[in-house]
Amino acid sequence: MTVDALITETADRLFGRLCTHDAVQAAEEGGGAPEIWEAFTETGFAWISLPEEAGGSGGTLEDALEVLRLAGYHAAPIPAAENGILGGWLLASAGLELPEGIVTVAPGTARDTLKVADDGTVTGSVEMVPWGRGAERLAVVCGGVVASIPVEAAVVETKMSLAGEPRDTLTFDGAPADVVDAPVGVDSRALRFRGALSRVALMGGAIEKMSQLTVSYTNEREQFGRPVARFQAVQQHLVWAAQDAALARMAAEAAGAAASRGEAGFEIAAAKLNTNQAATRATKACHQAHGAMGMTQEYPLHHYSRRLWSWRTEYGGTTEWAKWVGEAVAAQGADGLYPAITGGSAALI
Amino acid sequence: MRFTPTELTDDELALQSDVRDFLAAELPPGSYMPGLGMSAASDRAFSKKMADRGWVGMSLPKEWGGHDRTAVDRFVVVEEMLRWGAPVAYHWVADRQTGNIINKFGSDEQKTRFLPKICAGELGFSIGMSEPDSGSDLASVTTRAERDQGGWIVNGTKIWTSNAHQNDWFICLLRTQPLESGGNKREGLSQFLIDIHDTPGLELGPIPFLNGEHHFNEVSFTDVFVPDENVVGVPGMGWNQNTTEMAYERGGPDRWLSVFSTVEQLLREAEGTAMGERTIELLGELAARWWGIRNLSLSVARLIDSGHAPSIESSLVKEMATRFELETIEKLVELVDTELSLESESLFEQLLSQCVLTGPGNTIRGGTIEILRSVASKGLQGLPV
Ligand SMILES: Cc1cc2nc3c(=O)[nH]c(=O)nc-3n(C[C@H](O)[C@H](O)[C@H](O)COP(=O)(O)OP(=O)(O)OC[C@H]3O[C@@H](n4cnc5c(N)ncnc54)[C@H](O)[C@@H]3O)c2cc1C
Repeated sequence: MTVDALITETADRLFGRLCTHDAVQAAEEGGGAPEIWEAFTETGFAWISLPEEAGGSGGTLEDALEVLRLAGYHAAPIPAAENGILGGWLLASAGLELPEGIVTVAPGTARDTLKVADDGTVTGSVEMVPWGRGAERLAVVCGGVVASIPVEAAVVETKMSLAGEPRDTLTFDGAPADVVDAPVGVDSRALRFRGALSRVALMGGAIEKMSQLTVSYTNEREQFGRPVARFQAVQQHLVWAAQDAALARMAAEAAGAAASRGEAGFEIAAAKLNTNQAATRATKACHQAHGAMGMTQEYPLHHYSRRLWSWRTEYGGTTEWAKWVGEAVAAQGADGLYPAITGGSAALI
Repeated sequence: MRFTPTELTDDELALQSDVRDFLAAELPPGSYMPGLGMSAASDRAFSKKMADRGWVGMSLPKEWGGHDRTAVDRFVVVEEMLRWGAPVAYHWVADRQTGNIINKFGSDEQKTRFLPKICAGELGFSIGMSEPDSGSDLASVTTRAERDQGGWIVNGTKIWTSNAHQNDWFICLLRTQPLESGGNKREGLSQFLIDIHDTPGLELGPIPFLNGEHHFNEVSFTDVFVPDENVVGVPGMGWNQNTTEMAYERGGPDRWLSVFSTVEQLLREAEGTAMGERTIELLGELAARWWGIRNLSLSVARLIDSGHAPSIESSLVKEMATRFELETIEKLVELVDTELSLESESLFEQLLSQCVLTGPGNTIRGGTIEILRSVASKGLQGLPV
């Protein structure tokens, strides 16, 4: 399946126009970017891939991932993933209403204490909730139910990711919620994989942008009477970053294609693992090639590198996914190792 | 630069399954010593069997004994052979590159003479590019061919010629016009087809590998006569033809499967035992990386089939993939943390020993990673390569 070029062009133009350096910086200081979010919802991208019957704007998962890739490419400071393929997906698949405003999601940390009581009220707290403070509803999946909780009922403790994006702690005390039984295939494991897939798409875009920025910066910056890109030691950074950009984007697209066909645990796990490692290497290479300029707020490199540092640990860091893939392939035995690599989830026993 | 994701079609998957069946029947695990990817053993009978299946010279035209198959079909066959550690060395170079060069630039007479034999798995080629004073700076080769009645007289020396002692012919890059001072090194070079074992004045000798194995050779020419009909393409255009040849060398499964048979054996020997956490994690990292790199490499093959010459893409993949191979070897050594020996009781340890000893060549052969980086970086910056 390929994504309609119109989606790519529209999203690229939209983010390109709105996510200027100043706008991304301002979003960080203000804890959100309402104008960017509004323009994003006007295009219908906010609900892309959610069925029209449920109040979504239709389209495929791959369409949604392409929009996320471009959101990553432009460092769009909005909860595009939370509202769409994560929180929106939870609500829509459970038959719960999509709100007017933003729906965000509790990614699920080891410290979360939130419980849904039999009377449909929720008590406890969830951490690292993206844009919690600006959301209308919080979607959670736990204990066999999906709940849509009004954020106005929460005590919000504002916190930030390494990228300066909101990652808030929300605490509830007997808050009323819309609660339904989770349908088959909708559980915390499924959310973790979808979350990982969303991060992989965002990261693929961000690494590509960072790699391009580094090629242009090193061609403009002169030392010893020539552009620093003429030095082989610098060229090495350019090549390594470009490889990681290619690897991450390929991983994201291949995992997206598998996920839209069905079971894609292997592809998503392998993609997140590759992309986490690619992010580590590429941020190192791109920062090094930028010298001190890359360490400033004024120059945009950090809009991408800090997001990558934050995304690489969200929905599973390198060790978690290495373990997952390792166990999956070890279970195949030696004869099944290569078939797993070529055939992915479909070949796993 | 854009790597478009692609997947195997049903026909390609059927081919993959044929190759797997063939290998399971011909080389059941435990019945042979697996090779390290393209550094596999040379076995004429095995090459012949593959050729009988139509798996050698696949992408060459039917007219010349080939099969008119795609680069992706060849990719499918090659990746299975290499991950199995099958003995593909005899037809390796002829299949990967020399056949293509002859098909692309050779005369009809050369095509008749060489291609059917290559496709039959009956003609092994080596590569005669490097010289004592010309490695990375390949265009500086000085082995010269001078005009003579009906042909050329060749003098000079080629080195590092892999498997020349086991193959039949080699394709040599020679200087046919003297390099004038300030002249363009890339002009005046020509490609010659030369019989390694039946050419008066040609001397072949081993250059023992660091572990004592016979892999490298030195080939010296003293007034060797090569007839005109053995010059490939247009005399003087050898550099461009040779560059085309290099494109076939880069970015394929041979650049990321050298360590696969070793890792597979690790898993085989661990079966039935509880694997440690570090082993599991390393296995996960490797499988994921193979999955990622394979997707990139397959997309390069698809690009070739759609008529592109993805030289930047294939340099990027090859540079990344061969570094990954070396990192893998290092991580395996750290994981097992034991005294390695080629005579170990464990086949895995034997293979890992061989990886340690031969691994450094992976990032050198076919153009060093430093040279690949400079090719790729020019491409990234939009400069002429
Ligand atoms: C296992 C193996 C098999 C081989 N088989 C064959 C074969 O069959 N036929 C054949 O013709 N050749 C063969 N070769 C030779 C191979 O092509 C050369 O080794 C390779 O091109 C590098 O040349 P060199 O060894 O002379 O190194 P050099 O060119 O001397 O390089 C030494 C070091 O300097 C670096 N360097 C050189 N120039 C530059 C530059 N411009 N910028 C940055 N760094 C630079 C290199 O990257 C390397 O690290 C084989 C090599 C190996 C290891």
